[in-house]
Amino acid sequence: MSTLIAHSSILIIAVTLATAFLTPLVGIASKRARNTLIVLALAFVAFLVVALARDVMLNQIHVYTLGAAAPDLTIPGGAIVPVRIILEVDGLSAFMGIVIAIVSLVAVIYSMSALKTETGQNGFYTLLLLMAAGMFGMVFTGDLFNLFVFLEITSISGAALIAFRTKFADSQEGGFKYIVVSAVASLMILFAIGLLYSQYNLLNIGALAATMEYTMLDRIALVILMSAFVMKLGGVPLHMWLSDTYSVAPASIPALLIVASQASLYALLRTSFTLYGVTLDQSVAGWIIIIVGLLSMFVGVTMAILQTDITRLIAYNCVCESGFMLVGLGVGLAVLADPGALDAFGTMAMNGAVFHMINHALFEGLLFLVAGAIFYRIGTRDLNQMCGLGHTMKLTSVLFLLGALASAGIPPFNGFASKILIYESVYQFNPILTMIGILVSILTLAVFMKVFFSAFTGASLPRYRDVREVPRPMVAAMIVLAAGIIFFGLFPGLVLDWIVQPATDALVNQGAYIDAIMGAVP
Amino acid sequence: MIHSLPGNFPFVAAVVLLGIGLYILIFRRNLIKIVMGIAILGSSINLFLITLGYRIDGDAPIYTEVPSELMVLPVVQALTLTNIVIGVATSALILSLVIRIYRHTGTLDSVKSRRMKG
Amino acid sequence: MSLLIEAGYEFWNPIIWLIAFAVLMALVFLFRKRGQAKYKKDTDQTRIFLCGEEVPEAEQRYVRGGNVYWGFFETLKEYYNGVVRPHTGVVNDYVIWFVAVTAISAIVLFIVELAR
Repeated sequence: MSTLIAHSSILIIAVTLATAFLTPLVGIASKRARNTLIVLALAFVAFLVVALARDVMLNQIHVYTLGAAAPDLTIPGGAIVPVRIILEVDGLSAFMGIVIAIVSLVAVIYSMSALKTETGQNGFYTLLLLMAAGMFGMVFTGDLFNLFVFLEITSISGAALIAFRTKFADSQEGGFKYIVVSAVASLMILFAIGLLYSQYNLLNIGALAATMEYTMLDRIALVILMSAFVMKLGGVPLHMWLSDTYSVAPASIPALLIVASQASLYALLRTSFTLYGVTLDQSVAGWIIIIVGLLSMFVGVTMAILQTDITRLIAYNCVCESGFMLVGLGVGLAVLADPGALDAFGTMAMNGAVFHMINHALFEGLLFLVAGAIFYRIGTRDLNQMCGLGHTMKLTSVLFLLGALASAGIPPFNGFASKILIYESVYQFNPILTMIGILVSILTLAVFMKVFFSAFTGASLPRYRDVREVPRPMVAAMIVLAAGIIFFGLFPGLVLDWIVQPATDALVNQGAYIDAIMGAVP
Repeated sequence: MIHSLPGNFPFVAAVVLLGIGLYILIFRRNLIKIVMGIAILGSSINLFLITLGYRIDGDAPIYTEVPSELMVLPVVQALTLTNIVIGVATSALILSLVIRIYRHTGTLDSVKSRRMKG
Repeated sequence: MSLLIEAGYEFWNPIIWLIAFAVLMALVFLFRKRGQAKYKKDTDQTRIFLCGEEVPEAEQRYVRGGNVYWGFFETLKEYYNGVVRPHTGVVNDYVIWFVAVTAISAIVLFIVELAR
């Protein structure tokens, strides 16, 4: 067991990748065998992630050096800097790993029946697993260039998945926009990595952080990295691609795309907290992130309320929710250098934001799956065409209401638990931020009441009279997410103590991340 | 050849290519040209990476027993190679999407082929 | 203990919420029980009554999703005109925004550092 945990970080990536390329081979022989293989492999990966997360949170940062004699031999004899690719899993990486594992498993189970009639399913599952592997790699790696490679894997497979239904013109357009935006963002990230490499001859995040001098080139690299990651996570005003892509992807894919955005948020945090950390002018960088967050909240929700396409509306709501995370984390970054303020409210703000990340993945995932279920049954996403679906799709409407209330921050669901932490802590930093946050939450409720009113209530129309509940695997996938929403809402303290607090500690504690890599240097 | 040029010349070339790439991405509405813009952006970054690893009169980093002390940095060459491969994959995917868009909409103009806005 | 979140001035304990919810549900159930159960189904008693006028079909008598919150959009017309315009959906504009945001944040970063 301890050997398994010692090698688990690379095994998680390797098993997902290997399954991705086995899938088409097994799929030729039998569909059932292929589906079983994928579910088993992802369940095994989820088990590994949980075991690894438990180990990281109880003991110490997990380091895995690829190709070294021993996994923890980060700096070989004779060298003074790490030369190999190193995977480094701390509390935040493990937290993100849990989110990715849950959502990709749910997405696969949902797709099994949602895409039953589509052609090219072997390729679909290959791409889905590749995307999951890319995201695992992004959050587990301790190497900047490796981060770039996994980011590209995620975006290329993501674009192919968005454009999967080639019969629709708009999904082709969505895939095109996603890949262009991702290609520009990741090439600029590579440029910034080159700028850093030219000064320090290092690619390892921990080693770079240890030698960071914050020169002029470092500042340029910081700005490029920050705006590229904000572009990838969809913060206003770089959010416009998001609604075009999420709304046209096949039903289960937006749930994964949300997690891909979260992985970009993770990369933004790694850059600002760990890579630059104490050398950074925190209040300026923090305020830039806060302003982007405020804009995201406000523009996201006001654009969402305008939409008549159900998935597009939820996509704009995603922009709004990522605003909450950015505000919480921005406040944390702004007071990072001030231990008194950090203790008083900074840690709590970051706790709320990190907690909101997993909650966001759960309830937005659920909302997208519900929208996919509606599309599966009536074949349109237009709210103007819908009416009275609640008469026949009772369970789906209840699940939608659950996700909507969680997103609006209504107790006792999980969105409330994380939003109250953000409100309370941000209030001590600047009361105006909390006021805007509460206003945005109220508007979010209005957004979802619009959808609930026009899609599920009303008289049942003759043409939708024989619409039935969606097949069982889809319901099961939605219920898993709904159970998570209720559990996280009822036991927020447990979740905070077990996975959120270690993640926040890992963010604040830059020294521990560096020591895990550079510890071998005498 | 490179001896006679000022040391920063390749960096200037890389930045100029970067500018050309961004210019195309911003001002050219033809989808194929957008793909070209991304390719040029990629090339500029490849050039930048290779240049920052270059040492004048350096040897290629392929020896087990080192003939001289001065060697070209090997890591950036590996990065460039990886980026070229990723660039090929990206271009192939975008071009196939462009073909699909053309089949559906009958135009290659990024404004005319747009279905979603607002 | 671990159920509790203490956040500054307030706390959140789901057990208290659940008790309150159960009490409310019991009240709702009591009210519902007092209702009239002896109506006749599929007669005029369950039909919609609109001052004796003819009731339109289900399609016609429903407020569509696009018409919900009409007054809200009408009031905030100027704001919406401004905020919808940048969402052109053209991929070139997305790159412009990226370059602009990078430039602006670089300028902000350098100006603040020069000012100190």
